[in-house]
Amino acid sequence: MKKPIITFARWGNYTIAFKTLFDQLGLEVIPPEKTNQKTIAEGAKIAPEMYCFPLKVTLGNYLPAIRKGANTVFMVQNIGGSCRQRYYGIVQEKVLKEAGYDINFLDFRATPKDIYSTIKKISGASTWQILRAARFFFKKLNLIEKIEKIAQFYRSREIEKGTTDKVLAESFSEIEKADKEEDFSRIKKEVLKRFSKIQIDKNKKLLKVALVGEIYTVCDPTINFDVESKLGKEGIEVHREMDITYHLKKLIFPWKDWTIQRKINPYLRSTVGGHGRDAIYEMLNYVKKDFDGVIHLLPFGCMPEVTVRPILEKIHLESGIPFLSLSLDEQVAEAGINTRLEAFVDVVRNYHRHKHLTSNI
Amino acid sequence: MTIGIPRALIYWKQPHFWETFFEELNFKVLLSPPTNKEIVEKGVKVSDPETCFSEKVFFGHILWLDGKCDYIFAPRLKTNKEKLEYCPKFFGIPDLAKIIVKSPILTETFDEKREKFKKTLGRLGKKLNKNQREIGEAAKIALLKEKELEEREKEGFLKEMEKKEKKIALVSHPYNLYDDYVNLGVKEKLEKLGAQPIFIEEVPIEKIQNPEPGTQNLGYPKFHWEFGKEIMEKIDRILDYSIAGAIEISSFQCGCDAVLKEFVEKKFKENKIPFLYLLIDEQTGEAGIQTRLEAFMDTLK
Repeated sequence: MKKPIITFARWGNYTIAFKTLFDQLGLEVIPPEKTNQKTIAEGAKIAPEMYCFPLKVTLGNYLPAIRKGANTVFMVQNIGGSCRQRYYGIVQEKVLKEAGYDINFLDFRATPKDIYSTIKKISGASTWQILRAARFFFKKLNLIEKIEKIAQFYRSREIEKGTTDKVLAESFSEIEKADKEEDFSRIKKEVLKRFSKIQIDKNKKLLKVALVGEIYTVCDPTINFDVESKLGKEGIEVHREMDITYHLKKLIFPWKDWTIQRKINPYLRSTVGGHGRDAIYEMLNYVKKDFDGVIHLLPFGCMPEVTVRPILEKIHLESGIPFLSLSLDEQVAEAGINTRLEAFVDVVRNYHRHKHLTSNI
Repeated sequence: MTIGIPRALIYWKQPHFWETFFEELNFKVLLSPPTNKEIVEKGVKVSDPETCFSEKVFFGHILWLDGKCDYIFAPRLKTNKEKLEYCPKFFGIPDLAKIIVKSPILTETFDEKREKFKKTLGRLGKKLNKNQREIGEAAKIALLKEKELEEREKEGFLKEMEKKEKKIALVSHPYNLYDDYVNLGVKEKLEKLGAQPIFIEEVPIEKIQNPEPGTQNLGYPKFHWEFGKEIMEKIDRILDYSIAGAIEISSFQCGCDAVLKEFVEKKFKENKIPFLYLLIDEQTGEAGIQTRLEAFMDTLK
């Protein structure tokens, strides 16, 4: 067998952490290309027309990497429970082979045992090495998620517009460069220090908007047109609960799901696959926490999110909280999204003002 | 008391079963009429624009029943006898129905991973104040009727296979195959063009489990969806007969069909059988379908 050269599904800023995982196992990695209009168009060209958007995006990310020499693709299945994500690996392998690419597809289930055995087989690393790589992976992942959260805080308060995004980009490239676990605590300190140097207006009164919806679109700024940063620059604090840690926690500890089900019982009495239930739960939570708006992000035609959308709309009508649902696919243009966001921000501001007017009387 | 059953989506999975079941329990059953333009328009108006066409039609039927009966029956189908899942859109149907209609919804979760079908029926009956014996009787009669229908279908299939006309396999979900308004009368159109349409739903399959599943290469993944497994198995079966062509009908935005189509198409192409993929939605025109069918028939000659 040829020496495996790995590429994998790109996932927002977390891609860095995944790359480290394979690097640490002594595997050769060609990271997937960053998502842009070109890769999306390329992916959509060979993907089944009716399939959901993330499949087309990830496919587009593989292609440049495969042309650069990657011959093995990593794809995890059944992240999403009952939905189509389960067949991503099989369908992607099929279309890639039909398009004439000779690749080896590693399609594994999202259980610790399966992940371990797949990695072991491909890399031939010792158990100790795998555990160490995993530890480093989680360290990086945690830092990435942490600075994403910090950036949400700073972006809306910064005095000089755009500083946070600059610092964030610098931090990511530094995290990406780190290849020794020993150095990592130093890098972590440096990164966090950089953020604390950003000048902010502490007493600024802020509007709060939450992002809910499908995990891939919510977490990946390259496909949701950087909604987080756009809102942040308008002086809006953006919150979101979805990230990989949240998802992994739910996978390992099922009781979070039980709480969610109990809370959303008046609206939906069953799972609908994916993170359908979570969207309702989160939205109810944000209404309770007195947020000023909720944005629902989903890939066009995503089965779980489309099923719960009428319920989210019902919550929106009951509570009055501004609500915007954005379906993303290869035909959505940035200008359209910008217009809708601008209008939404106006609605959010009005809602906030109105709310405080009535409460003062 | 009247129970309304929408003649769409889940109804076609078990036609006559629910009707018979409730009638045997001494309820009046109101079945919504066959799909028509008005129903589709109503459904399209209330449902999410990105949901599948079949679900839009279903909501149209539910709206037709609204106010005409005491209960609207909308079960939540989760897993079937073989512990395979139904479409995830079925999971949320009763909750979504509750949002759009005023009549109370009669529902029960059918999840055979957790509970046997009969037991769930018992709980459903309890909601209607019927005792276990009555429910058992009604279920037995309803099941008998269902079996009878199955036998008839099997006979019909064998008879159709004996005919001399060109046989064309129609691959789709039962709610697209049997609803003539939704599929724009594909069956009739094909017959007029001198072909004999064979519904994939009616192909009998032997209920023998493979002794060692996964050992042979089937050419399609192990589906966790009941219809995925069923349709693929039936296609394997129908390939034993001589068929001239195959048509897959899919409702627009059907997420499951996006997966299934890849493998259905592959299967027919491997066997060198001409394959046509038809997408239906509320805007599909009859003339367009007619042209495509005619062109397809020409390729067979």
